Amino acid sequence: MCKIMSFHKRVLRSLGNGPARRNLFGPVDREQLQAEYRDALRKDVEDASRRWGFDFVSEKPLQGGDFQWEGVPGARVPALYRSCIVGEEPVPQREESTSAVTITRGPTRPIIGKENVPTTPERYSGAPQNLEKTPEKNNPLKRKQTNITDFYQAKRRVVATPRKSGQ
Amino acid sequence: MELYCLEADSVVRARPDPNLLADDRVLQSLLTIEERFLPQCSYFKCVQKDIQPFMRRMVATWMLEVCEEQKCEEEVFPLAMNYLDRFLSVVPTRKCHLQLLGAVCMFLASKLKETRPLTAEKLCIYTDNSIRPHELLEWELVVLGKLKWNLAAVTPNDFIEHIVKKLPLPEDKLDLIRKHVQTFIALCATDFNFAMYPPSMIATGSVGAAICGLQLNSTDRSLWGDNLTELLAKITNTEVDVLKACQEQIERVLMNSLREGRRQQHKQQQQDQGPRNKALDDQDQSSTPTDVRDVNL
Repeated sequence: MCKIMSFHKRVLRSLGNGPARRNLFGPVDREQLQAEYRDALRKDVEDASRRWGFDFVSEKPLQGGDFQWEGVPGARVPALYRSCIVGEEPVPQREESTSAVTITRGPTRPIIGKENVPTTPERYSGAPQNLEKTPEKNNPLKRKQTNITDFYQAKRRVVATPRKSGQ
Repeated sequence: MELYCLEADSVVRARPDPNLLADDRVLQSLLTIEERFLPQCSYFKCVQKDIQPFMRRMVATWMLEVCEEQKCEEEVFPLAMNYLDRFLSVVPTRKCHLQLLGAVCMFLASKLKETRPLTAEKLCIYTDNSIRPHELLEWELVVLGKLKWNLAAVTPNDFIEHIVKKLPLPEDKLDLIRKHVQTFIALCATDFNFAMYPPSMIATGSVGAAICGLQLNSTDRSLWGDNLTELLAKITNTEVDVLKACQEQIERVLMNSLREGRRQQHKQQQQDQGPRNKALDDQDQSSTPTDVRDVNL
């Protein structure tokens, strides 16, 4: 054991210099960091919008996407996916990761599916009728891997993906 | 009550699973998928403008020290370096944000591999509080997005057991060999020249270097020089020449690192002791080993 440690320690010591607690490259540019962070998140949301054919900001399906979005009443999705506010304010990223429409209890009929977005269930998103059917576009590409968002989905008819999720 | 205390203090870990380690299909699968987790390009040439290879080494060394001090699982550091390289191969990053990125990568790798992961607060302290926990958490999301949430990357450590099991090694030396291999793997992860190598090659080269370094090849004929390289090459489907070059490269990195370490140490000693003992130091230096095998193994 002693021998084991000596080699390991020796190599380590040859690499390290001083205490592990240290600042390597001087002060962090906080403003720049925040700007880059916001920028990166915005790009992520844009990518997700393109991929899922869904505008996560206005919570409406986009025209000409590969997916057909259909609304379901909030009561029909598992409790896990219903809105509730726990603790702090929701982070903006949440919206991006949900990739579905908020539940509404519309006056005429239930509109859109899925509510993982921590907002009130009463939220109403407009244009319910034409949400139901997007033009048939059968993409033969089968997805290779399931995404976490598959399980969020209340209902989806066309399953296809424009690009692989793998890196 | 006593029992409870004992349980709380010990790290619960799974035993090696023979179903995973004795089945060749697992090794073949690892070899098939490992390329998917390599950085997309040699990023210092094509992506980065502000940062340079020596800065990667600085942040890597710091990360290794933190992992050691926090007694992280062995694969945490190589995995964190895989995240760092993959992120840097797609996102131009400023020098002053590099340590934050290193901390985020350790944070993620630790959460994936450990039962008691590193906390954000602890990591921030290790940056001498130059970053804040909320920044770490924000950038965690950004990094996850860029890695496409593919965190279960193949690391060289995944291959160690598969390779070691197939070699005629003395049972009583296995722990020693494993530890040496892990050290070589960590050393490779600090060096950018290995960043684009498939993990299986780093693992195989490290096993070769460990066996040669420990001079275990004197006991079994099949572990002699070229025999060993051929045997190792067959296990991970690597070309013999490539593997040989890789092992030599690893041995060179080790020697350079030890030499540099000695230089630093002497400099430190001389500063501490003053010029009075200089003659003594020189004497000491002349007796320090230069060959890997002479290193206190």
